[in-house]
Formats: sequence, structure tokens, C-alpha cells
Amino acid sequence: MALTLHRIHADVADCLGEETADIPVDENLVDHGLDSVRIMTLLEGWRRDHGVTADFADLAEKPAVEAWAELLGATS
Amino acid sequence: MTVTTSAPAGTRTGPAAGLPLSAAQSGMWYAQALDPSSPALNTAECAEIDGPLDPELFARALRLVVEEADALRTRFVETPEGPRQLVLDEIELPFQVLDLRDADDPAAAAGRWMREDLAEPFDPTGTRPLFRQALLRTGDERWLWYQRIHHLVMDGYGYTLLGRRTAEAYTAFARGEELPARTFGPLAELVGADVEYRSGEAFEADREYWRRLLADRPEAPHLAGRSAQPSRSFLRRTTHLSPEATARLRETAAALKATWPEVLIAAQALYTARATNRQDVVLGVPLMGRMGSAALRVPGMVMNVLPLRVSVEPRQTFAGLVRQVVLALRAARRHQRYRYEDIRRDLGLLGERRSLVGPLVNTMPFDYAVSFAGSPARLRSLSAGPVEDLTVNIYDRADGHGLEIDHDANPALYSGEELALHQRRFLALLDRLVAGDPALPLAAHPVALPEELSLVLREFNDTGHEVPPTTLIGPIEAQAARTPDAPALVFDGTTLTYAELNARANRLARHLAERGAGPGKVVGVALPRSLELVISLLAVVKSGAAYLPLDPDHPARRLTDMLQDTAPVCAVTDHGRRLPSGVDTPLVVLDGLDLSAYPACDPARALTPSHPAYVIHTSGSTGRPKGVVVSHGAIDNRLRWMQHAYPLAPGDKVLQKTPASFDVSVWEFFWALRVGATLVVAEPGGHRDPAYLAWLINEEAITTCHFVPSMLQLFLAEPSTASVAGTLRQVFCSGEALSRDTARAFARRLPGVRLHNLYGPTEAAVDVSFHEVLPEHDGPVPIGAPVWNTRLYVLDAALQPCPPGVPGELYLAGAQLADGYLGRPELTSARFVADPFGPPGGRMYRTGDLARWRADGQVEYLGRTDHQVKLRGQRIELGEIEAALAAQDGVDGACALVREDRPGDQRLVGYVTGAADPVALREAVALTLPEHMVPSAVVVLGEFPLSPNGKLDRRALPAPVHRAGGGRRPTVAREEAMARLFAEVLGLGEVGADDAFFDLGGSSLLAIRLVARIREEFGAELTLGSLFAAPTPAALAARLDSARPSSSDALDVVLPLRPEGDRPPLFVLHPAGGIAWCYAGLPARLGPDRPVYGIQAPGLLEGGPLPRSLEALAAAYVEQVRAVRPHGPYRLMGWSVGGALAQTMAVLLQEAGEEVDLLALLDAFPAEQWRERPAPEEGDALTAVLRMAGLERTEEATKEDVVATLARLGSPLGGLSDVTLNRIVDIVPHNARLMREHVHRRYEGDLLFFTASAPRAEDWLSWESWRPHIGGEIHNLDLDCTHPLITQGRHLDAVAAVVSARLKELDA
Repeated sequence: MALTLHRIHADVADCLGEETADIPVDENLVDHGLDSVRIMTLLEGWRRDHGVTADFADLAEKPAVEAWAELLGATS
Repeated sequence: MTVTTSAPAGTRTGPAAGLPLSAAQSGMWYAQALDPSSPALNTAECAEIDGPLDPELFARALRLVVEEADALRTRFVETPEGPRQLVLDEIELPFQVLDLRDADDPAAAAGRWMREDLAEPFDPTGTRPLFRQALLRTGDERWLWYQRIHHLVMDGYGYTLLGRRTAEAYTAFARGEELPARTFGPLAELVGADVEYRSGEAFEADREYWRRLLADRPEAPHLAGRSAQPSRSFLRRTTHLSPEATARLRETAAALKATWPEVLIAAQALYTARATNRQDVVLGVPLMGRMGSAALRVPGMVMNVLPLRVSVEPRQTFAGLVRQVVLALRAARRHQRYRYEDIRRDLGLLGERRSLVGPLVNTMPFDYAVSFAGSPARLRSLSAGPVEDLTVNIYDRADGHGLEIDHDANPALYSGEELALHQRRFLALLDRLVAGDPALPLAAHPVALPEELSLVLREFNDTGHEVPPTTLIGPIEAQAARTPDAPALVFDGTTLTYAELNARANRLARHLAERGAGPGKVVGVALPRSLELVISLLAVVKSGAAYLPLDPDHPARRLTDMLQDTAPVCAVTDHGRRLPSGVDTPLVVLDGLDLSAYPACDPARALTPSHPAYVIHTSGSTGRPKGVVVSHGAIDNRLRWMQHAYPLAPGDKVLQKTPASFDVSVWEFFWALRVGATLVVAEPGGHRDPAYLAWLINEEAITTCHFVPSMLQLFLAEPSTASVAGTLRQVFCSGEALSRDTARAFARRLPGVRLHNLYGPTEAAVDVSFHEVLPEHDGPVPIGAPVWNTRLYVLDAALQPCPPGVPGELYLAGAQLADGYLGRPELTSARFVADPFGPPGGRMYRTGDLARWRADGQVEYLGRTDHQVKLRGQRIELGEIEAALAAQDGVDGACALVREDRPGDQRLVGYVTGAADPVALREAVALTLPEHMVPSAVVVLGEFPLSPNGKLDRRALPAPVHRAGGGRRPTVAREEAMARLFAEVLGLGEVGADDAFFDLGGSSLLAIRLVARIREEFGAELTLGSLFAAPTPAALAARLDSARPSSSDALDVVLPLRPEGDRPPLFVLHPAGGIAWCYAGLPARLGPDRPVYGIQAPGLLEGGPLPRSLEALAAAYVEQVRAVRPHGPYRLMGWSVGGALAQTMAVLLQEAGEEVDLLALLDAFPAEQWRERPAPEEGDALTAVLRMAGLERTEEATKEDVVATLARLGSPLGGLSDVTLNRIVDIVPHNARLMREHVHRRYEGDLLFFTASAPRAEDWLSWESWRPHIGGEIHNLDLDCTHPLITQGRHLDAVAAVVSARLKELDA
């Protein structure tokens, strides 16, 4: 199943314990509480469920929902 | 097989200038430079590889990684602009293959080899690489890949990058596949990002964030109770959280929308808060520091440690605590680029023992599994760098074993056993937290292990002992019947037998009973120490009433309050004037009272053990003393225990010297009389006179007595006391902390006399714990173990028992608890609370004392939890004093505290704001407070110093100048006027004609003020130097009369700061300006009988050639010193330039065969530390001159400007001649130049060093740089001040305290 921007956004908000409406898609997620453990957790889930091949550094380098959608080839 | 593979050493370098060090690297660079042979900055990892491996291919993979990772090819050089790092094009590969398969225990042999290698330091400035690689073969298909890398170039995340790339390259080589392209970014990118950040806006914003967050930070929570510099190695204990608990941890985290590291950090915050008895803790959280940056692909040193401030309150839930951690970390991460070292510098926490955080929680959630062409490898950290306190490293290896947890500890702070306990407790707590409901309050979770709970609650408190139901007085009456003719009471040459004493007390008791005294009633007793006092106390108790001691020395208002609160049926006194008029308590006046008509036999009374025996008042924080009601049963238990523990027999004599208003007096009055021994009463006031006490003990052959420790100290110092060892058998101490020093002095002075330390508040029948002090003991003197039928609890904020070693508040339970506070039910129920650990319905008393159990069941006293203090054994609520001060006219705000500006010299000081006169204030509060609660000085402030968050900063309150002690009163008018000026400038009530200015606490700045005031008052021109030559009002007045103050005063090379005294003098060397007046405050602080001479630059008066070299100058000073004292031992001290001079003089004196036994340097650094730095110029000299006058230089550009400023402000320095001022302005840069040429030789002895540890521009300066020039040990003390302030105020107090203690040792 292909990953969508919507899915990424929802997963990110969930692991931060926030509503999606409170997480802008173009902002640095570190400022919203994202850290390396949460990235690892998200990445493991996406690898399992969506066959994502990116590694930790790819995600951690540009921690924003839109940037990830582009990196992971997500449909919008 | 051992193969060593190495590539040719690289020679070409990168850009000639190299790269600057990142902020992350700088601190490590200096740490290594200060201790070049230390391996503490080594980091190391080991990967276990299972399967076939080809060492040649492995070497090839490593070579590739070294080629790709700039950090591994980095070399460091020192340049005039500071250290730089050069990235070499090529570097040798230090790689070794060891085959250990034939070893007896290959794994153990490998472990040994790695440990030994890890102990080897790297040299960052050398030519060898800053890493080392090895493959250790411990089985046919088992390999250990070991890497050691200097922390300067690599961090934990960097290791994972290296590990992955090495595995990737090896796998490609082994399979003949194409290697994926290089993925590492260049090191220059890291450094560039660092430079960019540090010059940007975010840097300032981050700095502000941390400054605000931590402005009112709590002290760093150290599980060991103290801090230390990191050692060269660390202790490690490895354990696992069980797979089940790990699973629960993950579930808990998921349920709380947190991550497992956040849950672990919350657990550590809880453990740390409880184990250090804090509610606000700051932990350290290492972060990889690479989120959102290119550094994610650069192996190097980037990681940062962020302070995480967490508030842990017992009522909070664990879920709430985790949420708090999540949010705090979230906020911290937004400012994570700001470096830990910078935060510490901003907070003034540089230097030794200035920690900001407690334990570090380092969670490493990275994926550690890699594989080498199919052979799986697991990476494991062996060393993560220096351990300052305690670091908890937690690895998530996803290998089915649960989380792996390493506790790394600084061996200077923790033993292996202590570390193991912390680890076991932390794991047990974590286990409970993740198994329990996160909505439970934190208070539900004890930190102690179950076996520890049983130990501290039951085994240590196993004090049950059956006692008969008797009263305080019953045993005395029985004794009187058994030995009617034995001596019972002695006072001032009169002896009463038991029969006589009993009869007199009985008659008075009957009289009192007629006036209404009986069980449940209270009778006041207002008598000085005398036969009548003892008789009256017995009589009150015999009547069945409780006695209320009314100290006739207490102020009238306090006595009135006590009488009103207690409402006694009557008060016994000797004449009508002892008690304040206007009190409606009926008096029983003993003078002229004829009791002969009463029968002499014991009176009847319906007295039970539960009736009150006495009511003793203690200081109350609200400004009114509170009466503690103690029952017969409680005090009877106490006295029965005491007789069992320290049996008295007929022939024993007990000294009664404690005022009856202080509860120690209760055992003094009653114990001896219950068991047939004799009570000897000291004369009124005698308890303060050591010589009288020594005489009385000898004269009356006293065997047992009590001292408050501070009085014991005075007693032991009294020459005539040694003789009492012949008669005295046992001494009891209580009332305040007994220091080991006093205990040692006791053992030396009174060998064979036993010393017992007792502890207890008035609220628990005098004492509840006991400890025999033995000469062979060491460390703090414990307050001991509980007495009969008594339990001690050390509880944390959640009222959970603290395990041994963990501080908490001391609670008391059992037979000796008081009934409560008379007429104060609310206060009683606040302090006497339900005891959850004892029998149902029992109470425990909350002492407000901090304590901890030792592992052997003895309790150590650690201080107070509130503002209550003890001064000379007397309990004082500062609030009571503050209330008294605030009640006076003209006082806006008041605060009080006990200062110990000189060791052992505790003084109560009041501070007020407003328009009040300090002397009048002191007199006014003396009318309402008892003597021991009247501040010895009152300081009027413009405003109270506040901490950044607006709270009163008690530490910043200034020390008062010392109070003059009753000297000769000034006689002539001019003396009197002069004494008045002294008192005004020093802020004292009164100054005697012969009191020396500097002995009263005068500093050179106050001296300047005094000279200015003298000029105003008398129109007389005095120089500052006059005050050194004539330091008393009388001498100065005489000098004024002679009308010819000499300007040549106090500018000679030798300045006698205090020539009197028999001991070897201390010589103090001038700082940069050449004048030694800055030491003016030192002699008074060193105590009497210690001559002190300043050494000053030659030519201050007459000019002349400047010295050729520092060596020549030092040699000239040596001649002057030898003129004062021809032979050693010599004691030298120097500040600034004077320090380098003092060290040089010490060397010269030693080379001349003399003994130099003290070298003390105040913030003075060796010559080579300055060599490469520009020398100061005339401007700096001008700054120095103005500083001498207490001024900061603003616009003064020339010497003339400076003179004009001094004259305008009326500074006596303005009176210095042109020659002198010119000379100073010449000396400062000249000495600085000489300093840069000087070469130190080695002084064979110890160095006492004082660092002004406030942040400074010259941050490379360190006392460690003396190491090559000092043959002995260096003892450093950090003082919280800047360089110019080290000879002032409390900083000079601290210097003098240490130097004085050292001098005393040398004299001994």
C-alpha cells in the first residue's frame, strides 16, 4: 500500500500526541517534539507497512512532513 | 597469527590554516591539555562478529573508511590563534589482528587486552592517529572488532556511521560487488555549521532560553551527596531490564504517547529526586545533536548534553511526570545546539566542583545490528568518555534480551557496592513503575529495596524494652528512703543529704498543692541556679504539677508571653523582682517564706505516667515561643535508658550547669537523684566560663557532665582543663552537631574520658539517639542509634523510608514523644502526625532535621530542612528574629541568618531595609528576644539582593564587619570622636580606644572611607598609610594631634601589617600595582598572634631604577624578608604577579637551605601562561590604581586624569605623591614584561591555591599549570569571584580560613 502525505501527517501527529491540525506540514518537526526515537519508530512502521527503503539519516536530515512525502515518493 | 597492517604515513596536509575547533571540541582539547597522560577522553566500542571473517579484507574496508572519514585523519596543532585541526590527506592505519584462540579463556584475554589498551592516552598534538583498530579472534568463527577513538574526533552516533560503512565496504569487497558511493560529509561542514550557528540569532535566543530556565536552578542532585572531577577511568556495571519489563516499558510509553527513553528519564528523575531528597532536579540528557542537519552523515564529535529540569512531587502521577519529561525535552530540543559548556559558563559554573546536572541518562536507540558479508555483528560501547558523576547508558538492541543498561560511575564518588545498589534500586523502581498504574501518585513507590525497608524500619529500630510504669519523681523518693544520709545536692560549699533535700522539697510541694498545684497543672519556676532551684523543681513535680522553667535572664516580654500562654497556677521565685510586673500569676516568694509547719514526708498525689512533667519553651517561627509538654512516662523512659546505658552509682557526681529552660537540664537535675549519685550545681553564669568549670570539676570530683559542642570546644582550649581527665568519667554532647575535630581534640586532651553524642529535640524527652565517640573513628560523628522504645525514621518527600545512605527528613516515634505544644492544637497536629509504620494509632514527630542512615544502623545528622538554626546549642527560629526586627519603626523588610564567616565562629546577623539605625535596632530587639537570639550585628541595606527570579538571595547578603569587644572606652574628646568615626565606618555599635581598625574587619576600601571621614570631621590630611602605622582611635588621635602625618607611611618595601605575635610570620607579596595594602583585612581574619608583613615594590617613595628581572626582584625581597626573620620556616603568599614572585622567593629560599613550609597563591599563574600574550600597557596600570581606590576606570585616559578623579572623589590615594603614582604606573607594565621573560624553577613543597573562578577572558588559566613547578601536592579552592575581588569580603574570609587552618597545622 502506497504511503500518502495524509498518512505521514497522521502518523507524525499521533506519535507526538498532537492533532494533525496542530502540526504544519512545512515546519521543522523537531520544534514540535520530534526526536530520533520517534523517527526510528515511524520508519520501522513505514518499512513494515509500506515497504519504505529510506534510512534514518534521510528522514532526520529534513524533518518535515512535506519533505518526507517527497523523499518517500508519497502520493498526496 | 598476528598481522599488523599499516598504510604509509601521510605527509601532505589540508589547508595550511586548518579548521578551528568546534565548540564541542574546545572543552575536550583543554581537558586533555591539562592532563596529557589521562586516558579519560578515550572512547571505545567493540563489535562481536559471529561467522567467518577475512582480516585482510577487513583491513581494506577500514582503510577505505579512514579515507572517507575526515575526523579519523585529523591532527591538532597549537597556533597563536588557539588550537586548530588539520585534516590530512592520508594517515597511517593503526590496525592489529590478534589470535587469542589458544588462550585459556579467549574472551577474558580479549577483555584484558582491551582494558589495557583503553588505559593508553592519545596525544592530540602528536603525529600518531587519534584512533586505534584491532580484530581479536576468540574462536574459529568469533571475532571482536575493537575501536578506540579520542573523544575530540568522534561521538557515539559517529561510531554507528563508521560501523555501518565498514560493514558495507567489507560486504561489497567480500562479494565482489560494487561499493555504494561515499556517504560521509566533510568535517569542514560540521565546523562551518558550528561557526555559523554561533554567530547567528538563534545562538543568542538559545542562550537566553537556557539562562532563564536555569537562573533559579536547584543545586545539582548528586546521588553521592557531593561532586568530584571526573577520574581517569570509571566503574561500570551492566545489567538488563527483563524482556517482560522491557515490553511493559514500551507499552507504558505507547499508552502515554511517549517514547521508552522518555519513560526511563522520568524514572531516573524520580529516583534521583528521592535519593537526593529534592523536589526539583536537573538531569543531563546527551543528544546526538544532528537532527535536521548535514551532520547526520558526518562522523565526528557533535553530541551535546542538555540539562533537563524536572519537578518531582509526591502527589503527581507517574503519567504526569512522563508528560512533564516529554514537554521539557521537546522544549529543550528546540535549543539543543547551544552547548552544555556554554550553559555552564553563562551560569558561572566553570572550574571545579561546579556541577549543573546530576546523573546523565544516555539512551541509545540506534540500530546496532550490522553484518559483515552475512556474519552478524553487535556493536557495544566500552567507554563513552569521562564520567563526572553517574551516567546511565541504555541500549535498545532488539535482540530479545530486553534493554541493556550500563551504570557508569566516577570511582572518586562511588564504590562498586554503592553503584550496584543504585542500579538495583533503579531497576526495581522501573520494574514497579511499568508494572503499576501510571495514574498512581509517585508517593506510592518507595525507592528502597524490600530488604532495605525491613532493615531501616525494623532491624535498626528494634528497641523494645519493658519499663515499669513510673514517674519522674517516684524513683527519687524511693532513693531518698533507701539512702537518706547519702549526699544528694551540692552548691557553693553546702551539701544536702537525700533526706534533707527530700524534706525541703516535700514541704514546698505541700505549700504549692495548697496554692492549686497538682497533676495536670503547671507551676512556674523563676530562680537562678541554686539549692532552691533544685528543691523547687522537685517540689513542683512532687505536687504532681508540671514545672515551667522561667529563665530570669530572659527579656520581660518573652516571660510575659510564656506566662500568658501557659497560665500556671503559681510561680516560684526567690524575690518579687524576677518576673515582669503586670503579670497576674500568683507568686510563691521563697525569701522569708516559712515552711516549717508542713510535714516533711512525701505528699500524696494522683499522678500517673501520662501526666505532664514539664513544659519547656522553644523558639517559634511565628515570633512567639511554643511550650512543649512532656509526660512523666516519656522522661521516665529516657532516664531509665540512660541509667542502663551509662550506669551511675553512689559516689558519682553529675554537674548541673545547663539553664533550666533548656531541656538538657532535665537529665542533669533528675538522673543522679534517682540512682543515689550526687548532683553538683554550678554557680549562676558559671556555665559560660571554662576555667571556672575546670576548677569546679576538679574541686568537686565531678564524674559526669554535659557540653554543647561549641562550649566543649572552648572548654578544651582552656589551659587548665587537661587536669579534669583525672576525675571526669564521661561527657555527653548534644544540642548541635559535634564535629570530628572537636571529638579528636577531646580524645587528645582528655584521654580515657568517654564521649557520647546524644541527639533529640525538646519534643521527644531530651534525647532519642546515642553514639559513643571513639578516638579511632573517622568521618562525621553520627547521632547514633535509637534509645529504648524509640524508633527513628528517615523519610523522603513521599514519606517513604530512605534506604541507608540516602538523605531524608528524620521522624521520631515511640515512648518519648511529647504530648504536643501547649494550647496550640494546629501546630501540634502539623508536627505530630500519624505513624504509618508503627502500631495503629501511634504518632511520629517530624523533626525538620535532615539525616541519613549509615549501613551499620547509625544515623548521621545532615542539617535542617527549614530556616531553623542552632546557635551554641540553642534552637533558633530565624522567623522569630525576623518578626522582631520587622516590628521596629523604620524597618521595611527584615531577614536573619547565621553566618560562619570565619570557621567555628558562628554569628547571628540581622539584615533590614528601611531607614532604621542598626545600633538602635539591636537594642530594641534585645528587649523582646532572649540574649542568644539577639543578632550580633544588624546590617541596614538599600535593598535585599535578589536572585534572577526575584527571591531573596541569602548567599549574596554581605558579611557584617566584626563587633568590637569591650576594650578601653575612649577617654579624651578626640579619641572619642575618632572612635565614633571608626564605629560609623565599620557599622559597629561601639569601638574601644585601643581597638585596631583592621582587627574590627576594616578593609582597605573601608580605610579609604575612614580617612575621607576624618578629613571631613577634623580637616586633617591623613594618608591611608597612617592607618597602618596607627590603626587604633587612640593612636590615630595622637597622630592628628602631632599634626604632621607623614606621607611616607606604608610605602616601604616591608609593610608591617601586624608586627605583633610570636609565631612565624606570614609574608604577603604585592600584586601588579606594587602596593600590599590590599591585604589589610587579612591579619584580623587569621586570628591573633600571627605576624603579617606585606612586601611592596621598591622605589614607591623615591623612584630609582626598575628591577632587571623577576628573579632579581625576588632576590631583593628575600633579603628584606630575612631582615625580618633570619631563618625559616618561611610562609609566603602572593596574589597576581605577587604569586609568581612568592614561588620564586620560595625556590630561592630553599636553594639557600631554608625551610619554606607554606606557599599560598591567590589566582596567580606561572610566567609561561602569559608569555605569548600581549603585555599590559599604561592604561592597565591606571585601571590598577583606580581599583586600589575601589573605582572602576571609565574615561580616565592619562595619569593626570586618574589623579584628578582621585582628588575629585576625595580619595586619600589622591594624596599619593607624583613620584609614587608615576612609579605605580611604571611598575605595572614593567612587571608584566618581566613576568613574560621569567622561567620558574621547581619549589619542593605543597601549593595552596585559590582560583577566582568567575568566567574570565583568559579562560586558559588554570592552577594545573603550576604542576611542573611544584614538587608536592596542589590543593585548589575555587572562589566564586573575579580576580580583583579575591582579597575582599567573604572571599578573603574563605582564603584566610584555609590559610589559617594550614598555619595552625604547621604550628602544631
